[in-house]
Order: sequence, then C-alpha cells, then structure tokens
Amino acid sequence: MNNTFNINRFGLLLKRQWLDFGKIYLISLVVLLGIVVGFYSYNIPSPLKDNNFDYDGNLDMRFRYPLFLILGFVFISIVASIYFNILGQKSRAILELMTPASVFEKFLAGVVYTAIISLFSYLLIFYLTDLAFVKYLNGHLAAFRGLLQKNGAVREVETITYQVFNDEGYRKYCSYFFAFPFLITSIFLLGSVYFNRFHYIKTALSVMVFIGLASYLMVKFSRWVMEGKVPYHYGKSDNDLILWTILLITSIITIIVWAITYIRLKEKEV
Amino acid sequence: MVNINNLNFGYSKHKPLFKNMSMRLSNGHIYGLLGKNGAGKSSLLKNLAGLVYAQSGTLDVMGFNPAKRQPALLEQICFIPEEFYLPSVKIDAYLKANAPFYKNFDHSYFTDLIKEFDIPVGQKLINMSYGQKKKVIIAFGLATQAKLVIMDEPTNGLDIPSKAQFRKIMASAMTDERCIIISTHQVRDLDNLIDTVIMLDENDVALKASVEEITAKLTFKKVKEIDDSIIYAEPSLSGYNVVMPNYHQEESKLDMELLFNAILAEKIKFKPLFS
Repeated sequence: MNNTFNINRFGLLLKRQWLDFGKIYLISLVVLLGIVVGFYSYNIPSPLKDNNFDYDGNLDMRFRYPLFLILGFVFISIVASIYFNILGQKSRAILELMTPASVFEKFLAGVVYTAIISLFSYLLIFYLTDLAFVKYLNGHLAAFRGLLQKNGAVREVETITYQVFNDEGYRKYCSYFFAFPFLITSIFLLGSVYFNRFHYIKTALSVMVFIGLASYLMVKFSRWVMEGKVPYHYGKSDNDLILWTILLITSIITIIVWAITYIRLKEKEV
Repeated sequence: MVNINNLNFGYSKHKPLFKNMSMRLSNGHIYGLLGKNGAGKSSLLKNLAGLVYAQSGTLDVMGFNPAKRQPALLEQICFIPEEFYLPSVKIDAYLKANAPFYKNFDHSYFTDLIKEFDIPVGQKLINMSYGQKKKVIIAFGLATQAKLVIMDEPTNGLDIPSKAQFRKIMASAMTDERCIIISTHQVRDLDNLIDTVIMLDENDVALKASVEEITAKLTFKKVKEIDDSIIYAEPSLSGYNVVMPNYHQEESKLDMELLFNAILAEKIKFKPLFS
C-alpha cells in the first residue's frame, strides 16, 4: 500500500470531504450568486437613470471590475479559511485525522477545494452572471439610443471574459497576476490549519502585520542601499521586469505557504 | 501489537504526563485502562492513535510509528473518542463516504450491530441522541475490522440496557488478532469484560496485570474486623471491603473499584506483588 498517495484513496477523500464541506460550500455559492446578481441589477445602465455612459460613450459597466476583484478576494479567502477550521474543534479533528488517508492526500484535497474548485466556481458564476446581464443589455440597446449625447449608435457591451481574451494588453497584464488568487487561498488555508478559532480575522490580521513589517523593512533597506546614489535609466522600460518579478514572487510565496500548510497539518495535534 | 518504550509526553515541557513509560500490549486481550482524572488515560490513547506526539521515546503500533499517520495503520485502528462529531447525514450516506477507506469493512456486521443497538436507520445522525450516536460510531468502528480498537469512555451516555448490549458486543468482537483498549471511569460497566487491568498514576503505569494474576495474588472480600494482613480496607454497611494477599489460593471476584482505590492509596505495598 502506498502510504503517501493513492489515486483511489484521494478520490474517496474528495467525496468524503464533500459530505462535510459541500453543503456549506453550495450555500456560499448561492449567496455569492445573490450578491453578484444584486450588484449587477443595481448598477447596470437603465433608461430610467441619468448617467448611463462612460467617457468613451459606452454603456457604463465599470462597476464590474472592483466588484470582480473585491468579491473574488472575499469569496476565495472565506472558502479557504473554512476548509480546515474543523481541526480547531477537538471532536471533528479526531475524525478528520483518523481517516485512513495520508497527510499529503488530505492537504491536496484542501488545495483542490480551496484553490481550484472555489476559484473555478467563482469565475464560472461571475462569467455566467456577466454574460446574462450583457446579453440582456445588448438586447435592449434601442432603449438607450435617445439618451446618448454624442451622435452615433450605442455600442454593444462586452463581457469581461471577452475583453480579457480579445485584448492582448489585457491578456498579458492579467497573466502576470495569475498566481495572486492562489496566494490568497494558500494564506487563508494555512490560517485555517494554524489557528484554532477566529481563523479569518486572525489570518487577515497576521497578513496585515506581515505586510506592514515587510514594507517598513523594504523601505528602510532600499533607503540604505540607495543613499547617496543617483538614479540611472537605460532608456528601456522596466515594466515587464517588474511584472515578471511579481509573478515569480507570488508563485514562490504560494508554494512556500502551501509547504508550510502541509507541515502544519502533519504536526497537528488534538 | 503495541510496544511503548521510554515514552515521555506532556502538554507542556514543565509538566510531564508520562515519564519513561514502557509497556507492551498484545493481541487477543481486552485491556481496561484506569486512572484518576488527569492521569493521562486519554493522552495515552491519543499517543497510540498518533493524535499527539511524544516528546521522546518510541511507540510501535503493529510495526508502524503512529505519529506518521500512515493510511495502512489508520485503517487498522478504530478510535472511539469520548467527544465525537457526526455529520448531518443519514447512516447510509455516512457509510458510503467513510466505509470504502477500510478494505475489510463488514457491511452485514454493521447492519447487525445497528439492529442490535436498535438505531433508527432513517434518522439523520445529527438528530440522534448522544447515546444513539455513540452506538453508531461503535458499530462503525467494529465493522471496520480494525485490529486495534481504542475506546475512550465508551459507556458514557449509554443507557442501562445499552451498556449490557455493549458488553455483549465487545465480548463477541474479541478475536485472537484484535487488541482492545478501553479507558473508563465507570469500572463496573466493564466487569467481566476486560482481561487485563492497566492503571496509570504519577506519570507511569502503576499496575498492569491480568485479572487472573490479580485474583491469584490478591483476594477481595468482606470482613467484620481489620487485621494486619489486610493491605487496604474500605468501610461498608456490614463491616469492611478489603484487599489482602491471597495466601490460601482463595477464589474471589475482582472488585475493580476497590483495587483502584487500593492501588492509589497503597502503591508501595502493591509494587512488590506485581513487579
């Protein structure tokens, strides 16, 4: 018997975890859908409103971007923070730790649920809601024609997905931030193993303290390094390098945090 | 089955619970683990199940180190904790999700046990009473056919008929390949069930002896007056309940409660008898 990883056992574990995690997860998906639909319903352009257009004369759908980012952060971080919180309750932790699956399989099931399934379901729900509202708006463009101050037809609204996949600049820019959602879920997953109570608040607080401390040290360090030196530019933009560095650092930190989560799970005592 | 060597364990480094504890447990036995509150009964069981880690020493359970929590060992351990949680599903769903992890799981045996315990199958686990839930996890644990059965206060919350059922089921569940360890405060619930007594006190094993050995060396009886041969006595309505050396190979029934109190009170007097 392979005591580290067995695909059948892993499948059984995913099924078993659904028994505990699934219900609350489905409820949170319904809540998420409600929030997204609510925000769209309240904010989409309507012939009854005054300011329906942005500076370029397009129907104003700019509320989607902050909504996508903020709600995405809240949803995936909450889901990750819930996953291992049962380990904080003695009675549930015993059942969990005594389940005949390896620590690696238990950890991997956590990553699958929090980093893959939660992210995928969030993107799917947001995509479908966005698509539905965009289709609805595009089907009623005639209602906005008289409201457009500039001459010309009202342009069709594009879904966020369409914008990202059909614009090279968008696509490239987004790809550099690919690891960010995984970083968020990895941190909150670690918090759910590390803390026994108030996982979300304690993790958020720890992250804030860590970022504050790291920023302070970085500023101090760069001042110390740069002191008395003159800035020099090659004449070439460093933007790409900075974005690549962001991708690399977030990916590395994500892997490190996952590794720490695995170790904490291995060392968990009840 | 279980080898404990120089085990040192404590929840804080300054307050050790076990100091160089060594013990060997074999299959084919039902061990009764006794001790005062805080003596470390549950902690010892958790050490055996790999739920806590020893500070030093070695623990060998069926050739595995329980601290590694390997599936091959976990499927051979049935751990019934004192506090437990069951999800909000019916028995069928619970079985479907958990039984496949145990390749020797005996479904028909589980059904028999559920019938014997008179558990309502259609009810959700979370809506059951504490005693009913306990019976479900006992039935599930025994049906896994695990070789090491660890039970922490299994009769807590069981009504009087269920306690008798429990004793009957445990006696029938005993096989030569199995090792059953039951920790309890309610020693009378385990009368006639356990064959070896393990008593924990002052960071170590105060007594580990089979019922046969105990009754061969000690006799438990009621007397009107106390004399010097008595090791320990407790006043009762009609005189004294006493523990004394079994000089004349008398047959007596082990009174676990009396033995427990006697060992705690007169540990030094008992040590040479069982060393």
